[in-house]
Amino acid sequence: MSTSVSTRPLASSYTEWLRVQDDGWLSELLHARPDVARPAPPDVASLAGRLIGQVSISRALDQLDAGVLHMIEAMVLLPTPIDARDLASRLRGVPADALAHGLDQLTGLGLVWGSQDALHLIEGVRLLVNHPTGTGRPLAQLTGDPDADPRSLVESLPDLAADERALVQRLAAGPPQGRLPDDWTADEDPPGTISRLLRRRILVQVNDSTVELPREVGLAVREPAPFGAPRLRPVPAAGLVEPATLDKLTAGAILGVLRNVEDLVAALDLDHAGVLRSGGLGVREHRRLARAAHLNEATAAVLLEISLAAELIGIASDGEHWLPTRRLDVWLEQPLADRWATLAAAWLRTSRQPGLAGRQDGAGRTLAPLSPELIRHGAPATRRAVLSPLTSTAPGTSWSAEDLLALVTWTAPRRGPEFASAARSVLEEARLLGILAADALTGPGRALLTGAGDLEPAVAAVLPPLIDYVLIQPDLSAVAPGPLQPELSRSLGLVADIESSGGATVYRLSEASLRRSLDAGWSASDLHSLFARHSRTPVPQTLTYLIDDIARRHGGLRVGTASTYLRSDDETMIAQVTADRRLTDFGLRLLAPGVLISTADPDEVLEALRSAGYAPAAESAGGMVFPGLAQRQRAPGRRTSPAPRHTELTAEQRETVVRRMRTGDTAARAQRRTRALPSIPGVTTATILETLQRALREDEGLWIGYVNADGQSSQRLVEPISLTGGFLRAYDHRREEPRTFAVHRITSVAPADD
Amino acid sequence: MTDGPLIVQSDKTLLLEVDHPGASACRAAIAPFAELERSPEHVHTYRVTPLALWNARAAGHDAEQVVDALVRYSRYAVPHALLVDVAETMARYGRLTLATNPVHGLTLTSNDPAVLAEIRRNKKINPMLGAEIDESTVIVHGSERGRLKQALLKVGWPAEDLAGYVDGQAHDIELNQDGWTLRDYQRESVENFWAGGSGVVVLPCGAGKTLVGAAAMAEANATTLILVTNTVAGRQWKRELIARTSLTEEEIGEYSGERKEIRPVTIATYQVMTTRRKGEYRHLELFDARDWGLIIYDEVHLLPAPIFRLTADLQSRRRLGLTATLVREDGREGDVFSLIGPKRYDAPWRDIEAQGWIAPAECIEVRVSLTEDERMMYALAEPEERYKMCSTATSKRPVIRRLVEKHHGDQVLVIGAYLDQLEQLGADLSVPIIQGSTTNKEREKLYDLFRRGEIKTLVVSKVANFSIDLPEAAVAIQVSGTFGSRQEEAQRLGRILRPKADGRQAHFYTVVARDTLDVDYAAHRQRFLAEQGYAYTIVDAIDV
Repeated sequence: MSTSVSTRPLASSYTEWLRVQDDGWLSELLHARPDVARPAPPDVASLAGRLIGQVSISRALDQLDAGVLHMIEAMVLLPTPIDARDLASRLRGVPADALAHGLDQLTGLGLVWGSQDALHLIEGVRLLVNHPTGTGRPLAQLTGDPDADPRSLVESLPDLAADERALVQRLAAGPPQGRLPDDWTADEDPPGTISRLLRRRILVQVNDSTVELPREVGLAVREPAPFGAPRLRPVPAAGLVEPATLDKLTAGAILGVLRNVEDLVAALDLDHAGVLRSGGLGVREHRRLARAAHLNEATAAVLLEISLAAELIGIASDGEHWLPTRRLDVWLEQPLADRWATLAAAWLRTSRQPGLAGRQDGAGRTLAPLSPELIRHGAPATRRAVLSPLTSTAPGTSWSAEDLLALVTWTAPRRGPEFASAARSVLEEARLLGILAADALTGPGRALLTGAGDLEPAVAAVLPPLIDYVLIQPDLSAVAPGPLQPELSRSLGLVADIESSGGATVYRLSEASLRRSLDAGWSASDLHSLFARHSRTPVPQTLTYLIDDIARRHGGLRVGTASTYLRSDDETMIAQVTADRRLTDFGLRLLAPGVLISTADPDEVLEALRSAGYAPAAESAGGMVFPGLAQRQRAPGRRTSPAPRHTELTAEQRETVVRRMRTGDTAARAQRRTRALPSIPGVTTATILETLQRALREDEGLWIGYVNADGQSSQRLVEPISLTGGFLRAYDHRREEPRTFAVHRITSVAPADD
Repeated sequence: MTDGPLIVQSDKTLLLEVDHPGASACRAAIAPFAELERSPEHVHTYRVTPLALWNARAAGHDAEQVVDALVRYSRYAVPHALLVDVAETMARYGRLTLATNPVHGLTLTSNDPAVLAEIRRNKKINPMLGAEIDESTVIVHGSERGRLKQALLKVGWPAEDLAGYVDGQAHDIELNQDGWTLRDYQRESVENFWAGGSGVVVLPCGAGKTLVGAAAMAEANATTLILVTNTVAGRQWKRELIARTSLTEEEIGEYSGERKEIRPVTIATYQVMTTRRKGEYRHLELFDARDWGLIIYDEVHLLPAPIFRLTADLQSRRRLGLTATLVREDGREGDVFSLIGPKRYDAPWRDIEAQGWIAPAECIEVRVSLTEDERMMYALAEPEERYKMCSTATSKRPVIRRLVEKHHGDQVLVIGAYLDQLEQLGADLSVPIIQGSTTNKEREKLYDLFRRGEIKTLVVSKVANFSIDLPEAAVAIQVSGTFGSRQEEAQRLGRILRPKADGRQAHFYTVVARDTLDVDYAAHRQRFLAEQGYAYTIVDAIDV
């Protein structure tokens, strides 16, 4: 919004004011208030109508920082039109450039209109601001007595007793409402502080338990700064983390999180977890997985959520089990940096809020991890909002969490109460992932958030170099003093048990672990050469012996699968069958004297033997099994339909919209010239609503043109009472009674005194 | 990436790379708050335990120092959770203090009333507490000092015991250092012990633990009760004390199955202390027989449970535990901590060996193949018989004979667990046997002949596992043992670790039957020593 307010031409109404803005300005407005641009408004009048809608205004207010909101609150308190200089003089302590910038932002958003010396606030804004600058409602509104005189109240303030003054000052500082003590009664005797103030109407009771300080009193008590202290942008105290330390911490977190996710998913692979009816993971399964990965339950929940976001785990096609997806197998093969990049990116964009797991919902039920109840569509925006202020800091700058959150809150204070706890979870998760370390943004974290350059190299830069050796000790422990190359890590994971993990990994070689590797098809010489190649210390002789011992005993018993056996006491018969060329397809093999086996089904073998002229008899299969090579079950993984996203309008699209509105305006003007009625029924122009709202606020009478349900139009003089849900309630002078008018049937309005 | 010698693991173990140039500085920095768990050749493992952290607090270290040491020497990032945990754990120590109040006697005080309230609500602890003096102080029944400390440790609020010790009845004891002086590590252990008040000193067998005891007695200068494992060990203590201190024969009493003398320094055996008649411990009053100024527990890892119970009542007396290993097969290390005291001194075996105070030892496992018959018998044996079957296999006998012949001229001990096997070996080798039923007199005579070199070889049962000083024994042949007992292995090796006059190497053989339980147990037994840095070599019986 490059143009300044002062150059705006004079305009008498909001719509008119919008209409005289240039195309570039309108395009910027559509950019700043994207919700009004879709579907494209036909002309400027309907654009204005959309801009003053409560929902749209609320969205616009959500983008404002605390300083600009303070300006809005001050403007609510000031009589319109407002002179910008007057505003500046009342907001003492706010730098001039901040004020100018704030006004530009407010006009650019279409929340404030008019010229520098006559600024108007959109009426709808007033309804959305409760307790402007922390003051209560005006006395007349609070008491329902239009004749109540605030001036005499203010004049009586110097007479307050000390206790009364203290209470008034506390409420004047805001919030203006206070709770009555539980044991308070209206007729207490002698009257306490509250009762005395209530009697003098310096406090007004608004319901059974609440009192409120009238606005006039609050403002008077606050003199000489009635609008309160300026809400300046907080400046976090910056610390400095040594780059080497930061990298170390980052690497620690990254390696830790990768290890933890791997452990969790491995535990899930070992024993699939049931899916709750509500879709999540049960308490017991959650606990089991956490224990298996040596994690506390909260951390396990977050990591499971991230695994789900990265689609490393999913629900099996039967819909009843959580289990790893195929993507996990790919992920496990990737270099560490890529693995982390996958997790971190998934976390950043997931619309699930992992921190909610284990919390209670409104009904007191605990939210299960992985359940659909954890979906919050605002979650990605929350993450960006919390972390992005850090991207503008120099590398290694640390801001305490409190300072960062204070700044984030200042930037957009209107976010709901859920935001504060979500923001804390975001910080915790970012620390867990290594996006934050020692309160500073880490190298990989910065790359992730800014999207500048490739993520993987930034991760690889902080990770310690992979090592390809271990130290094997005489007590049969093997220490890998750093992250191992994936292949070696996998081999060692097979031949040894992990005793301790972290920056280093301690493996324990035992008879059981070595036997496991033999079972997996390794030979003794494979083991010897693995240790010879990768041990930086001489391989202890005990280990060499242990391997040979186990290998010697290994395979003394053999187990295999066969579908069919043929046995005969007649060895020549067996020899004949073995040699029979008609039976070669069955892969008959001599297992022991007198016993042949085949992998074909007994029926087939029987059939073939008979047709070849033998006379076999079938034996009962009692207890025979088909062990079949079981393939690991895998969840199908989610179909990767991209999440519906509100793509922003491009500059060209916005230009088109503006151009169309201009055409629409011209058409409407042409219509006005040819028709008697100033507007078309059914099109509620912004001006009408705007005028109705202002009349209501300022308690003015109005002339309205109205078309009733039978299509008859009439002119009436009315006194507006309320305006809700598209209906105007007003006192109709002609009928001499209050009537309700549908706003869309009001064709024109004019002030009564015109 | 800095290249520190230390790797901090998330499970609170610390890995120290020994060959790293910064290793010794790092060791000194982490030793106060981390327990040395294993010290094999290349990478030593320490563990940060709550006990160790509280010990460090007791010794005046604060969490900041601990965190600083971890961060400074660590090669990789120290897990954040661990640092937080260290600070939190250390902050728990000293919230409660035991002190002697001139008016109310023993009191428990806390600067945090909430902690005291939590403690008071505990069902186990509440009965030990008396009236409340104010919201931060409560009276403790004097007799509950030990049990209260035990209970508080269990709930994670270890009390700082500032109640002090009674001096006991004074008795002049001086070290008689002519021709010898205390070694550095011995002096350090005594200093650490005395500064800490009570506690345990861990030194390898043969490193002169008796002298640590004697020096502690000289420091206390008071009547002393010494508890030992058996009579022979007791007499050895007596001999040593007479030789090394100003004490005379008349000042030292023996309280055993044979004699019941109570003198300014009394040496009692665990066995007699725990002898029951009609369900009552008859000799426990010995603890109260005199106003002891110091109680020494030899081989504290073997301390029997009844003595634990009594020790709980002796918290106002100084207590010194001596041991080669804190590994207790019954897992009661925590009781040793809260009742005797924390570990005050510890040194890796190999360090002391490097300083020349214990003999270098070569550990060899000799594998014997069983005959087909033996294998079949073993395969068919009842599970409970199997270990005995394989460890006493006849095939071992020729190998043992060859080993003894190989070390002809050396002093050789053949150690086993099964009597019939030992008798057979005694007959094979035509040497005397010492076992449970051998009288003390006979034992002393045989040990004496062995010490003087008149007998070259002895076959001994597990009675010789402990506290027998046989300086010239250079070879031990272990033929069977108490299953997988790690501390037995350490004790047996200890028998031959006295430095030899000519600096000879000691040899420690274990004869095991291949492909049987014997090998599995041997592997388990060896773990402690392997973790202490001893490398075992395996040889085939036919290569002996």
